Amino acid sequence: MKPAGLRARFLRQKGTLVGLALVLALLAFAAAGPWISSHDPFASDFQRGIAGELPVGPSREFWLGTDRIYRDQLVRLAYGARLSLLIGLMATAIASVIGGAVGIVAGFFEGGRGLRIPWLSVAAFVASVALLPRSIPLSLGLFGAALIGVLAAQITGKAPLGAFELNLDQSLMSFVDVGLSFPFMLLVMAVGASFEHTSVTTILVTLGLTGWLGTARIVRAKTLEVRNREFVLAARALGQSTPRILVMHVLPNVRGPLLAIATLSVAQMILAESVLSYVGAGVSPPTPTWGHMLFEGQEVFGAAPWLFLGPAGFILVAVFGFNLLGEGLRHALDRSDR
Amino acid sequence: MIAIAPIAKRFGRGLFAIWAVVTISFFLHAVLPSDPARIAAGPQARPQDVAAIREEMGLDRGVLARYGIFLGRLVHVSSETPPESGRGKGAHASCKALGPLHFDLGKSYQQRRGVLTVLGERLPRTMMLAVVALIFQLLFGVTLGSWAAKNRGTFLSRAFMSGSLLGVSLPTFVLGVILQYVFAHRLGLLPLDGYGNTWPEHLKSVILPGLTLGIYGAAYYARLTRDEVEGELKSDYVRTARAKGASPSRALVVHALRNALLPISTAAALDLGALVGGAIVTESVFRWPGIGSLGISALLDRDGPVLMGTVLVTAAAVVLSNMLADATYGVLDPRTRK
Repeated sequence: MKPAGLRARFLRQKGTLVGLALVLALLAFAAAGPWISSHDPFASDFQRGIAGELPVGPSREFWLGTDRIYRDQLVRLAYGARLSLLIGLMATAIASVIGGAVGIVAGFFEGGRGLRIPWLSVAAFVASVALLPRSIPLSLGLFGAALIGVLAAQITGKAPLGAFELNLDQSLMSFVDVGLSFPFMLLVMAVGASFEHTSVTTILVTLGLTGWLGTARIVRAKTLEVRNREFVLAARALGQSTPRILVMHVLPNVRGPLLAIATLSVAQMILAESVLSYVGAGVSPPTPTWGHMLFEGQEVFGAAPWLFLGPAGFILVAVFGFNLLGEGLRHALDRSDR
Repeated sequence: MIAIAPIAKRFGRGLFAIWAVVTISFFLHAVLPSDPARIAAGPQARPQDVAAIREEMGLDRGVLARYGIFLGRLVHVSSETPPESGRGKGAHASCKALGPLHFDLGKSYQQRRGVLTVLGERLPRTMMLAVVALIFQLLFGVTLGSWAAKNRGTFLSRAFMSGSLLGVSLPTFVLGVILQYVFAHRLGLLPLDGYGNTWPEHLKSVILPGLTLGIYGAAYYARLTRDEVEGELKSDYVRTARAKGASPSRALVVHALRNALLPISTAAALDLGALVGGAIVTESVFRWPGIGSLGISALLDRDGPVLMGTVLVTAAAVVLSNMLADATYGVLDPRTRK
């Protein structure tokens, strides 16, 4: 009953339908673009004009005009759409898998027992960092001593001068906290800038590996709600193993919110990709990217607005479409919870 | 009595996050393929000059040793008074002093000045942009959101809310360029970009970038406010207020909106941190000389010390704004006080 109700609620919203239409149209354009226009996305057509003059405007030959070196804008936009969709979907897939796994594990083990870290080990660790400029062997020795102290505290259960407990949930969530205070765009750009030639894979892996932190937080909160429900307790009472409970009982119940975040995240990833290529840290030219086309079009906005408005419109359609779908999904789930 | 322990714990966690971010970015930067000595010496320098600079910068030593030196210089004690300009040859030329405490992030390769001096110039400008943007965001967002909550279900309210999702989907580099074209290029009312030289010029220059960030964020606040106020309007105390003769607008502003302010101000505090960390794209579209554009140019020029500086500022801003958000919660919601 519930899945059908959810689907009906999802599709009854006007926004969802608009979003669905936009996304499907975009997919169709990305797939069929190279057949709509017979031009080569990388080849200049110098017969149309002489370099230095204005780019060719929209015409029968070039439906959306050409850029400044006489390459067909329409087919380049279509290749850009393929790239944006590929990066958006793949990066989201990576981020959802990591974020979902971290969130479920952290939420499930919240409040559980963890490592006992003696304060003495903390002091030794701080001293080892402070001693780095003076003497590296001494510093490494202190670091080793700190590790041995932690190990000893686990085995003997004793720690002179006290200890604090660090469980799996706390360590995962402080990692997320640190990650979220990282200048995310700068990090991604640094990775992009460190390669001589930035490939599509580099960008989508970087975006995926950095984009899961928010997802993990939300999934963790949802897991906290689920883990004490009767069916989880019953499964445990029946003697099911923890991994099996996580996969068979917790995961299906956080799947809905995870899907909603993932849909919204596709929009964010597409946006991030276009920002990267806009500032020159994205996939290297001559591969057509919306962000870079926009950057080039911005300089001739007054004379040739189509060079700017084309990529701008497509970015807007893509981000808006996925946002509408994600919002619709969230609303539909919201009501089904009540 | 105010409890010291939770505050100290919070502070410690914040410091830990900043340390972790700085450490990660130090090692990330250390493995990036670039030769800082060559960058500092310039492309025409002789090999022995490059070698001398390499030794002066400590680049001939291992990564761990350099990390130790970096941390040791970050905060140290000295009785010398560093020069105001951040230039010069002395051991403390690039320091900033706070009594006997010295802070040092090294010298910029490109500008040949202390990184802290550069950051000190940039930070107030970024703060100015951040505050103006936040004012625009809250002004538009809260007004529109509460209006939409009051007129729930009407055509205009729904249209505004769909428009706000469109606003969230509009990347700042598209909105910024359009605003530039209309207000600076076409109408000539406001400066196209830059910062200006006098205070009236600064104030004029901040409007367009502030508006760009403002519209983008206002869409978010409108949605947040609408959801919150709608929830409050259904509650018993608003009905009581209406029954006792409060006018609809009084019930809305004095009773419902006041309680909705809590989540809004928490979001605003977090937002401020993100904005101080640098609205990278908006700052570079408008050539606003703040932290964000500094980070980008440092990245593209491989100016390591400046990059570390911007990372540090960004991380500190996010951590501080998290604390600020917690603090506003305590001040605005008496229930969380003990």
